[in-house]
Amino acid sequence: MKLKRILAIVKIEYKSLIRSPAPLYMILLLPVALVLLFSLMFRSIIIEDVGTSVFEFLVPGLYAFSGLFMAVPVSLSFSEEREQGLLKRINTTPMTGSEFIGSHLISNMSMAIIQVAIIAVLTFLMGFRGATEGIVFAFVLMVIFSISTIGFGLITATISKSAKAAGGIIQIFVLPQQFLASGLYPLPTEAKVVSQFMPLHYASDALTLLFNGVALSDINIWVDLIILSLFSIGIIIVGIFLFKKYGKT
Amino acid sequence: MINNKNTKSSNSELIHVSDDSIAIEVIYLKKVFNDKKGIEEVNAVDGISFSIKKGEIFGLLGPNGAGKTTIINILCGLIKQTEGEAFVGGYCVKEDLQDIKEIIGVCPQQAAIYPYLNAKENIEFFGKLHLMDKEEINRRSDRFLDLLGLSKAKGKKAKNYSGGMMRQLNLIIALISDPPILFLDEPTVGMDPRARRKTWEFINSLKKTNKTVILTTHYIEEAEALCDRVAIIEYGKLIAIGSPRELIAKYKAEDLEDVFMKITGRRILEGI
Repeated sequence: MKLKRILAIVKIEYKSLIRSPAPLYMILLLPVALVLLFSLMFRSIIIEDVGTSVFEFLVPGLYAFSGLFMAVPVSLSFSEEREQGLLKRINTTPMTGSEFIGSHLISNMSMAIIQVAIIAVLTFLMGFRGATEGIVFAFVLMVIFSISTIGFGLITATISKSAKAAGGIIQIFVLPQQFLASGLYPLPTEAKVVSQFMPLHYASDALTLLFNGVALSDINIWVDLIILSLFSIGIIIVGIFLFKKYGKT
Repeated sequence: MINNKNTKSSNSELIHVSDDSIAIEVIYLKKVFNDKKGIEEVNAVDGISFSIKKGEIFGLLGPNGAGKTTIINILCGLIKQTEGEAFVGGYCVKEDLQDIKEIIGVCPQQAAIYPYLNAKENIEFFGKLHLMDKEEINRRSDRFLDLLGLSKAKGKKAKNYSGGMMRQLNLIIALISDPPILFLDEPTVGMDPRARRKTWEFINSLKKTNKTVILTTHYIEEAEALCDRVAIIEYGKLIAIGSPRELIAKYKAEDLEDVFMKITGRRILEGI
């Protein structure tokens, strides 16, 4: 594995984002908009049983919800590069498959870090004072979750015939997780069972526990982390396999 | 860079012993595509054999759908053959693909460039994939951009280029790593006559650097102007091979189009 090749792709990904910033709005402006909107709407509404505002209750869900939307630009990027013949061309160079995926992991994980930092700063400014462990762990969880977004992106790029179609198809993965696993909506028991088959559920569950004062040593948090990691690894393996077999040309 | 060791194919019927003077060898190559339902089979490449000498510009000439791009895609590892063997620079396409990717440059039919990057950035990116130094990339890219008349536009984003300029940039990217073997798939499609002439001169100048070029085209003048030898292909089959002059003399024809007409009874451009 050659670092020079990996960094070349990372650089290209960043340049493309800066020069064609529509996906950047989704990665960075969406969390800003969500935090501002939710804080204005729910900061003054207090949940009497627990004594915190609805906004504070929803903060873990905001991390999860924002991270989920990273799958959209990833799927568009893969589909566009395939449509433009770039993936085929890269495939005729000495760049290996693992270098290619490695470069996308780096660019996506760094985006996840920036996104979490934005949410952490903004929620703090809006009055949220969650446990510090929760904020630190949010970085770890969302970086791991970002691995699965690459998997979702690859699966979508494999299924969709064009970049336009990819924008719709990625919603197969985004919408169910948005409603059932982000932790932003109250769920009936049946829906809670379904949500356990979604990686985002484990990220939002661990964050909710931590921000509600549960100690980092609690076994449930580590179980969530392990399951999230397994989901992310599994999804990216499926994505790589499908894309390699059916998606390159 | 090219592998000079003797190689033998795994299939005992298709014995290949590489010769130092041979850059590419194709032995009874077949590619069958299935339709989406898997019912109908199409023989895109149907038992083709030929070899290309080092330093030769070799043309694959034929109408659209003849199988030219499929042959190139097999040789550079984008698709796998159904039957037969192929060797590029002495390396087997089935087993030594990574070695092959180190010694080839590919100019695909579609101008595969990043639209939001300028010419220099596009070239630099592909140079880095070949682990080239930035200085070397700059030196080579400046020379090629100058030769093809793109120097003034090198800072412009590629999405603002004309179709012809994009194709010229496409060609430069294929050459940036100084590969001994070059695949050019319809390199001048969509270019205006002036840009096409300039590109022909550029491709011709590669002869001095002893590069082996395999070029697909359906332009008769292009094949005649550039190629040392051509293979005429129709429906996946090789129907004639030789230098343009030899073929014209053999079939008592006026040009390669006439050769194609005499063999098949139709014109190359009919299929386009």
